Amino acid sequence: MKLKVYLTCIKISIAQATAYRADFIMSTFITLLSNIFFPLVTIVIYANGLEFPGWTMWEVLALQSIFSLSRGIASMCLSSVMWATMDHVRGGSFETVLLKPISPLFYIMTTNFSVSQIGLVVGSAVVLTVSLINTGVSGVLGVLSAIVLFIGGILVAAGLFLIMAAISFIWVGNSRLDEISSSVSNFGNYPLQIFGQGLRIVMAFVIPAGMIGSLPAEVLLKGVEPLYFLGLIPCVLVLMFGVWIYNRMIKRYEGVGG
Amino acid sequence: MLEKIRHIFGEGKAVAFATYKEWSAYRTHSLVSAFVGPTYFIVQYFVWKAVYGDAAMIAGMSFEAMVRYYGASALIGYLTMDFADWNLQMLIRTGKFLTFVLRPINHRRFALEQKLGHRVLGLIFEFIPCLLILWLLFGVDMRPVYLGWTILSVAITFLMNFYVNYTLGMTAFFLVNAGGIRVVYQLFANVLSGALIPINFFPEAVRRIMMFLPFQYTNYIPAMVWTGGADIAGFGLSVPEAVMFQGIALVIMIGFSELLYRAAIRRFTAVGA
Repeated sequence: MKLKVYLTCIKISIAQATAYRADFIMSTFITLLSNIFFPLVTIVIYANGLEFPGWTMWEVLALQSIFSLSRGIASMCLSSVMWATMDHVRGGSFETVLLKPISPLFYIMTTNFSVSQIGLVVGSAVVLTVSLINTGVSGVLGVLSAIVLFIGGILVAAGLFLIMAAISFIWVGNSRLDEISSSVSNFGNYPLQIFGQGLRIVMAFVIPAGMIGSLPAEVLLKGVEPLYFLGLIPCVLVLMFGVWIYNRMIKRYEGVGG
Repeated sequence: MLEKIRHIFGEGKAVAFATYKEWSAYRTHSLVSAFVGPTYFIVQYFVWKAVYGDAAMIAGMSFEAMVRYYGASALIGYLTMDFADWNLQMLIRTGKFLTFVLRPINHRRFALEQKLGHRVLGLIFEFIPCLLILWLLFGVDMRPVYLGWTILSVAITFLMNFYVNYTLGMTAFFLVNAGGIRVVYQLFANVLSGALIPINFFPEAVRRIMMFLPFQYTNYIPAMVWTGGADIAGFGLSVPEAVMFQGIALVIMIGFSELLYRAAIRRFTAVGA
């Protein structure tokens, strides 16, 4: 039932977006463009004869496109939850959500599917494909393992969005909350080997930002490391914590007569 | 003349103070920078540590200079951050710009004074906490090599950022909703301002073109001046020469902004007011 509601809402979001075709195409193109710009830094580093030890340029580009892809998919489903919650709390209109005969989080999620992130997803998929053509993959097991870890990365990114959305109940109107989740996620945008031992363990198994890009890429390109699958546990925990804290924070909501 | 200067100074002080008070209500929002800035800094530190390996110098910069560059770049950002473009576009789109046309005040000057007040808040709640974190927690020596040149360069950057953004905002007089242009500019600025990677790393042809674009004068040049960089822009510019180029770029930008303002204001129709 819930899936049916969600799919219907996605269809409505797409219909709404395509109603303003020019705006949709423009925003998708801009998102796509931003995705093209980011690998430029990696390309510039390698063009200067430099490198991340043990990683070729195409491998790093593959890693960074997996990172963008994870964040893009999570953003499509949940980044607008944060903005919508923030607007409702600031405007005092969250009551309209609470009155619906459905879970508030599910309602906000279904009615705020962000179609414009499709540019990021498509752009990342293209860069990933081109990178993999140049690098090859480590085998069928590597691909399957990478897909599992990749899903873990989406869960982490989604969990971080939910935690930020939950914070917006008490830190009212802070439009910079998104920067916090982006800065934490940023650790996953580079090979985890470059960080110190302690930080590496934290980013793989405590706040598993490494799962958003680095670890799936490593498994995909360099072979399966069974230990990495342990990192899936904190991924699920981050998402569960996100859902829990969001629902918990709803109780802190104080209507201001909106 | 003296009376006019005194009036402008008094007006500036009042607007800046009012803006400071207004944004003080959201001062804890600025404190996000105390987490986000150092977090990005840690990532950059490890990225460049890995890239440098055992190399002493890359593109004319040592690893220590690179670390200081990213620290300076972040700190300068807190002092010069600007959203005059967003604000002006909003005023034009909603027709609220009319309320400024009717006042005996130049909106551009008003916006600059607002920025001054807003950035004093940035100085207290972003710049100082992050400077202390970089210095005390990470042990990065963030003392400017040439204090006088650094202050001058940051002041020029403050104005440059404002005039560039205000000029971008003026495109709304022609397009009404120019949000797309703003985003595209931000995309280019992120890469070409040196915020992601110093300009020294770009090919010579690109560096030559960038001397004629505003981007590097809003981040790269002041950060290099702060760190006392020896090979600024990859052309061996000295600190005084770099600041001079920055000054010239600012004068050109002010002139362009003035010309565009005169052309644009005639197109304002106050729709929606």
